[in-house]
Amino acid sequence: MALTLMKGSEAIAEAAIRAGARFFFGYPITPQTEIPEYMSARMPEIGGCFLQAESEVAAINMVYGAAGTGERVITSSSSPGVSLKQEGISYIASAKLPCVILNVMRGGPGLGSIQASQGDYFQATKGGGNGDYHLLTYAPASIQEAIDIMMFAFDKAEKYRVPVLFLADGIIAQMMEPVEMPEMVDFKVDPEKKPWAATGWKPGDDPAKRAVINSLYIETEALSVHNESLQATYREIEKNEVMWENYKTDDAEFVITAFGTVSRVVKSAVDELRAEGVKVGLFRPISVWPFPSDALRETAVRDQVKAVLDVEVNEGQMLERRDQAEDPRNEGGYVNVCRI
Amino acid sequence: MKKMKVLIGNYGSGKTELALNFAFRAAEAGERTELLDLDMVNTYFRLTERGRMTRMKEIRLVSPNFACSGIETLSLPAEVASAFAMDWDTVIFDVGGDAVGATAVGRYHEDFMELEPGALEVLNVVNTRRPLAGTVEKVLHLQEEMQIHSRLKITGMINNTNLATATTTEELRHGYEILKEVSRLSGIPVAYTSGKKDMLDAFLAEGHDPQYIGQPLYIGTFMQRDWDSWIHGLK
Repeated sequence: MALTLMKGSEAIAEAAIRAGARFFFGYPITPQTEIPEYMSARMPEIGGCFLQAESEVAAINMVYGAAGTGERVITSSSSPGVSLKQEGISYIASAKLPCVILNVMRGGPGLGSIQASQGDYFQATKGGGNGDYHLLTYAPASIQEAIDIMMFAFDKAEKYRVPVLFLADGIIAQMMEPVEMPEMVDFKVDPEKKPWAATGWKPGDDPAKRAVINSLYIETEALSVHNESLQATYREIEKNEVMWENYKTDDAEFVITAFGTVSRVVKSAVDELRAEGVKVGLFRPISVWPFPSDALRETAVRDQVKAVLDVEVNEGQMLERRDQAEDPRNEGGYVNVCRI
Repeated sequence: MKKMKVLIGNYGSGKTELALNFAFRAAEAGERTELLDLDMVNTYFRLTERGRMTRMKEIRLVSPNFACSGIETLSLPAEVASAFAMDWDTVIFDVGGDAVGATAVGRYHEDFMELEPGALEVLNVVNTRRPLAGTVEKVLHLQEEMQIHSRLKITGMINNTNLATATTTEELRHGYEILKEVSRLSGIPVAYTSGKKDMLDAFLAEGHDPQYIGQPLYIGTFMQRDWDSWIHGLK
């Protein structure tokens, strides 16, 4: 299949459509406005729905409603806009609805600025909204990887009935790369496979089959049971869905950890250092929740490894995982952070 | 005579890269050169990021207000008038992508009309490996839209078909075939075919019709991301 040269925003939007997304709700914000722009032209062509909401809060609630029908629904925004969506995301997580949310990170906190950043790692991996929930969260490092992840993101979201979050950054959305776009997936809502979906209950139908989309549990006991079922799902995801990349770490004396676009800068640095004879490698989480803790420990906690360097475009948020990798024989000072 | 080149085209067709190449070439030939960043659409990967490089070559660079400052509300600076008012040998306009981007240049159509005949080249930079420029119909459609919005008549096309680091001569052939047809249908000539030296030489050696190649233009790449060159997927 021929390669095309695509901008990250366009490619991610097109991949979502090819993966079966037919509903997009969003609100413009730099550096991801090209995603809604692309969707606004493309969705009508394929009989889908593009709707520019009056705000991010409205957009995520539209996602909540549309996802309840079992359709493939997506929204995108950038950091401050994703903050606005957090209440809705928490509701969607509680209601166990599959959907895909894109965060094209920019500088923060607050309105911040429009340059690329990785400052929303905490928000993405440790909740964001209220309550005990997680999002299956991927941090793609290239446009092709973002496309490839998109092609299974809806399947995962539906399998576990959780929202999937793409933790991308402005560089991924704005840069251009040659990519291979997969074929269109033939997606249709199958009510048999999605008994939870509100697909049209009529008076006279079996009352037990009525789909109720809800995140309110007035009885404490019921809420407790609900939370236990959510947690059981998260344990399952932690067991099955961890993804990472090891790059030249087999004989590495120095391990650098990085996610997303930054890992590419690191990869170039690894190659340059290798050419000088330095035994250095990269460990890159692809899923940042669930975090590949075991793989990091296996990579970093070895006698041959002299030091681990963590590189992020933030104040070292992923570094907080150092407890997972730290060699108990080295008391502190094992992991250093390099802030960009 | 003052020569002006206005580069318009589809997003990601390579306008900025070519603008830098044309400007460097002119400056190296000792010409007084002005380069105008008229991209009012993009906030990332824009000409002004290479400001230091252009100034070192004694090229005057004009940028939109707030370009590269972390604000997306760019505005056209009054300095654009210097392109018309001052005594340059070569002036190059790097315009934003698609019809939306071309709108910015329409503001100056009266100034362009006052130029001497033959002084102005309006060049449509085409990369047929971009999804919205991949067929004859798409190139024709974009061309028409951009002419309306820029209020300028396109004088020539540039076959700049590429896949960034994954480019082969196949890309130039793909662009050639499409632009040949576009040229026949629109009457707009292919003014240049551009590429890295080895790639372009290999393409030229294949013996295609020179009418649809125009001037060969060997280019360097200045807009690439310094920090990487890999294409990465999960497969």
